[in-house]
Amino acid sequence: MNRPRILLLAVAWGMALSSPAAADLRIFACEPEWAALAREVGGEKIDAFSATHALQDPHHIRARPSLISRIRRADVVFCSGADLEVGWLPLLMRRGARSGVQPGTTGYLMAAEHVPVLEKPTVLDRSLGDLHPGGNPHVHLDPQNLAILANELSRRFIQLDAANTDYYRNQLATFQKEWRAAMAGWNSRTAKLSGLPIIVHHKSFTYLIRWAGLKEVATLEVKPGIPPTASHLNGLLQTARSQKVKAILRTPYDPADASEWLSSKTGIAARMLPYTVAKDAPPGALAKLFDRTITILEKAHAGP
Amino acid sequence: MTTKLIRPMAAIVIAASLGMAPQAIAADAPDTKTLLKEIQALKKSYESRTAELEKKLKKLEANQSKQAGKAPSSKASGRNISKASGRNIKDNSFNPSIGVILNGRAASFTRGTSEIAGFGVGEEGERGSEGLSLDESELNFSANVDDKFYGSLTAAIVREDGADKVELEEAYIQTLPGAGLPDGARAKAGRAFWTFGYLNEHHSHSDDFADRPLTNRVYLNKAFNDDGVELSYVLPTDFYAEIGGGAFRGDDFPGGGSVSGLGAWSVFARTGGDIGDNQSWRLGVYTLQSDANSRSSNEDMVTFVGRSNLYATDLRYTMAPTGNARDQELIFQAELMYRDDDGTYNDMNAGTGTLNYDESSFGWYAQATYKFAPAWRVGARYSRLHAADTPTGFAGSALDSQGHDPETYSVMGDWTNSEFGRFRLQYNRENLDSGKADNQFIFQYIMSIGAHGAHAY
Repeated sequence: MNRPRILLLAVAWGMALSSPAAADLRIFACEPEWAALAREVGGEKIDAFSATHALQDPHHIRARPSLISRIRRADVVFCSGADLEVGWLPLLMRRGARSGVQPGTTGYLMAAEHVPVLEKPTVLDRSLGDLHPGGNPHVHLDPQNLAILANELSRRFIQLDAANTDYYRNQLATFQKEWRAAMAGWNSRTAKLSGLPIIVHHKSFTYLIRWAGLKEVATLEVKPGIPPTASHLNGLLQTARSQKVKAILRTPYDPADASEWLSSKTGIAARMLPYTVAKDAPPGALAKLFDRTITILEKAHAGP
Repeated sequence: MTTKLIRPMAAIVIAASLGMAPQAIAADAPDTKTLLKEIQALKKSYESRTAELEKKLKKLEANQSKQAGKAPSSKASGRNISKASGRNIKDNSFNPSIGVILNGRAASFTRGTSEIAGFGVGEEGERGSEGLSLDESELNFSANVDDKFYGSLTAAIVREDGADKVELEEAYIQTLPGAGLPDGARAKAGRAFWTFGYLNEHHSHSDDFADRPLTNRVYLNKAFNDDGVELSYVLPTDFYAEIGGGAFRGDDFPGGGSVSGLGAWSVFARTGGDIGDNQSWRLGVYTLQSDANSRSSNEDMVTFVGRSNLYATDLRYTMAPTGNARDQELIFQAELMYRDDDGTYNDMNAGTGTLNYDESSFGWYAQATYKFAPAWRVGARYSRLHAADTPTGFAGSALDSQGHDPETYSVMGDWTNSEFGRFRLQYNRENLDSGKADNQFIFQYIMSIGAHGAHAY
């Protein structure tokens, strides 16, 4: 029987093809913001890959072959959690992930498990839309959450790569110092935006709204994950006027038609917030994300 | 946060119970002492860690209340928090997760019978029933067994010959990455839709058409789900590459009537990747080699005994503008299957008697579906079989293709209200024998309630 031998040869071939053990920690991030944060905290000692890019809706991703091969070699899986990736991450985890990145291990980091989560539903029924049982998973748009997660990530990197402990500590200290300074600036800017009435497409900005003290008047989606309908949008015309809404906000991956329609009927500007960073964002991109977001909100506050 | 506290506590309990284990007591006195000392040290370190954690928790809470003070306008979210903590129902998932697929159709055919000329066709590979009917109603239970295994059972309730029958489609266990196999390796045992081409692995409720193409109907009797084991290994390469193989009982089509209980084996290899941000592909090659001790088809009137070797290759290509498959997507998919039958056939209808048969045939299908709006898709499919030559003695039997290659043209349109509900209208034009074409209209609904796992690529 030479069939087993062929199999063994194939395995050996695969091993030979895989790149020789690079010293870097490999980070599989589900979203670009987590890859960016990993680059801030891990610097040159890590290699972060984002499974999605800024224009992709992280709710709906296919468990593609390329993602299986990426997660297969990851040392850390860093995602939003709270079921944001429930449609694809479990499949990847079961299919390809190493034992060191399974739930409960150091290599498995879900952001929503480490920060206070908002909007946990009390009743679950699919007729209420696509609710996340774990609460709203879009946690990265509150800079305080990023500070918490930077600490946690650094702790994990040190556990996995103790030889570079000092490097990770320095990297974290630098990041936190800069982040604190940046946050002080943002806080004084958002103080002026307090109570700004807005309409959002999907509940993607809940953490930003809470942190910046904005007032979410309505969502364009009928229910979470259920696209806007004509009757729902017509109903919003009245709400938008009576509540003196200043902006209609959406992410780059939300379809533009609903917010543009409402904007044309009410004269309220429809604005796209960046929501996240580029897939291969360099260090500093997260700070720019908040700078740009606040600038857009300030424009909305100033009027059309 | 509670889990963080549970871990050290559990460790203390385990350490303590280890300390009290009879072996330890029976051991020499100095050993017991050192052990006790170690436990004390352990306890101490965990106590300090617990205190540290509590401190962290307090800090976090303080941060939170500070935050709440800072944002007086966000009353809505504040109310949500208190509501959630008042009645904290985290999720509605049971263990195991239970999922149900409800599936029904209305069909109209212009021909009374539907025989695929030149081939022996199993029961599942036949044309569905006309008029109003239920399709397979699927019942699925699945969960992680423990840290090492995952288990799943899918039963389909179907109507056959005027009676409702339960068909066990899948009942398997599968290793999880924590099971101790090398990273990337997976073992699966039981009954499952095994790896062979694209469609075979998938439940029919996730198909893009209301029926399976001719290749899968004829060569796999809709799907190969024998009892067996399968091993697979994802290579640690930059691009996706997976190899694997299995051993099976040999009771299911293309095998049948297994005597030894080990009558079939398979080997496969797959690769795939992305082209830019918007396009992905996967390519595979497969073989399934079966000993058919008695493979019945055509309502048990045609029997094959012998060796049946199947080879297949499949290609799947997807393109989604901006990478959002939910909004718009083009999927192209094709499979080619080649079968080599070496043994004897007997067609009792035609009264051929048992005659030697050593012929090969092949078939293929290609399909494209296009999602032009989040809820709407259209698709087209062509499938064709190239029948084997008719050996002497089989003229006029089910194996006589009369020089005709069976083919089917299909078009479909479907509307998806949510991920969990879909309606589909399909038109088939089937030319399965040299007679007139069979024009078919099928209207179908597919709904799922309860847990519904993600579909593989």
